[in-house]
Amino acid sequence: MQLSDLVHQSGEWLRGLGTDSDIVISTRIRLARNVAGYPFVSRLKPEQQAGLSQRLCESIVDDTVVPDCHYFDLKAASEIERRLLVERHLISKEHEDAAGDRGVAIRVNEAVSIMVNEEDHLRIQVLHCGFELAETWRLTNEVDTALGDRVPYAYSERLGYLTACPTNVGTGMRASVMLHLPALELTKQIEKVFHAVAKINLIVRGLYGEGTQASGNLYQISNQISLGKTEEEILAEIQGIIPEIVENERRARQFLLDRNRQQIEDRVWRAYGMLRHARIISSGETIALLSHLRLGVHLALLSNLDISAVNQLFVRTLPAHLQVLEGRELGPQVRDVARATYIRECLAQAGHTGDQ
Amino acid sequence: MSQIVCQCGKKLATIHVTEIINGEKKEIHLCEDCAKKKKLVFPTSSSVIDLSEVLSGIVQAAGEAENDELKKAVCPNCGMTFADFRSAGRFGCPNDYEVFRRGVDPLLERIHGTAEHRGKQASAPASARADDRLTQLRSELRKAVSDEAYERAARIRDQIYALKKGRGNAAE
Repeated sequence: MQLSDLVHQSGEWLRGLGTDSDIVISTRIRLARNVAGYPFVSRLKPEQQAGLSQRLCESIVDDTVVPDCHYFDLKAASEIERRLLVERHLISKEHEDAAGDRGVAIRVNEAVSIMVNEEDHLRIQVLHCGFELAETWRLTNEVDTALGDRVPYAYSERLGYLTACPTNVGTGMRASVMLHLPALELTKQIEKVFHAVAKINLIVRGLYGEGTQASGNLYQISNQISLGKTEEEILAEIQGIIPEIVENERRARQFLLDRNRQQIEDRVWRAYGMLRHARIISSGETIALLSHLRLGVHLALLSNLDISAVNQLFVRTLPAHLQVLEGRELGPQVRDVARATYIRECLAQAGHTGDQ
Repeated sequence: MSQIVCQCGKKLATIHVTEIINGEKKEIHLCEDCAKKKKLVFPTSSSVIDLSEVLSGIVQAAGEAENDELKKAVCPNCGMTFADFRSAGRFGCPNDYEVFRRGVDPLLERIHGTAEHRGKQASAPASARADDRLTQLRSELRKAVSDEAYERAARIRDQIYALKKGRGNAAE
């Protein structure tokens, strides 16, 4: 497998399946782990870091730890390849921009990715489409236990798994659920969600993690506290609030259909029209329009349009994906033209949607 | 969706506030910078902990004697001082949690509400299990020798060698 091959497959979180998948895009759990006997990444000497990367790569790429797994050396990867991994949520932005010896191990189906020498020596991440906390945790825990058998983790009885940043210590766990909440945003109720979530120590982030802006009405809800609770307790808190948010979004969608059907139809069809016919389109505008298209499909306002095609477009129209699909580097302006062309072709293939 | 420009006229408004004062509804659209200037605190931004702020609060709260002790502490493993940690917000090695415990425990309590782990426990690493196995093999060897079962003893001796050799490779 090569990194550029990723663009041709759909990726776990984009399959559009799983529980409540009309609203919940994906479930993600990551564990921060460090290897005993080494300083944290920021204090590793270059040769030490290279050695550790090598050692961890060998421990991870083993069928008893992560089957069908490939390791990619990010120091050797091109800028576009690294960007591609960020766009697919397989590595963090910090990992993309870092300089030292580092890498990522990816299971072919993209359900598991393990960052090596990010802020911590190991960041184990499992992604699942839909709202599937229990299954995601089962797999995360399995990978962690198998890897912990081979690598002695930095661990203390008192404080649990020791991490470079004190906000991750203890379980080292961050679980997040990505939600598509266009109707709550349209009906201006999204802040209620933020408040409800903040009350129970969970936080809301944008699409690409901490400090990023929410785009395309996509929000991630995750735990803030990693110490003093068991993994199951932390997950139960998230498990408890998501159905409420989902229910509110469904109600808001129904409200829009009942009271504002024409406006919402207009919005969805305008989004479709723009995407189907635009000649120049930015990545930001694309995401905003695709969000409406996605809503339209789930409200059955657009018939014959496959949701997986829409989900695919969310990722394939991002800058690095577009350039890999085109097979060459493109400047921002050329990219906006290529993006518009690509979207037109995809929507034409996805079938003409019959207007009512 | 129509995009609204902030009152400053420079950036896109990403924060939308609806104020209702005396029954009068007013909508304000702000970019992130202007919202910060107006000191509007939103759960999305406020919930991301500002480590340095929390830290300086803790250092102030601690007595002077304790502060002096914290200031002098240096991690023998990674050479980090508490001042280094305060400015970086990241530890240098796992040992720092113990070296700076006086400063770190209150910090953990502020962040997590506690400084005690209750989650998953790390299984003993393979090296520790190898130690157990080694002890077990050595006693088996002694027994085999005292039983004069030399063939069995030779097999056990080989196993001990193999285990030791494996560990030698595992160490850096």
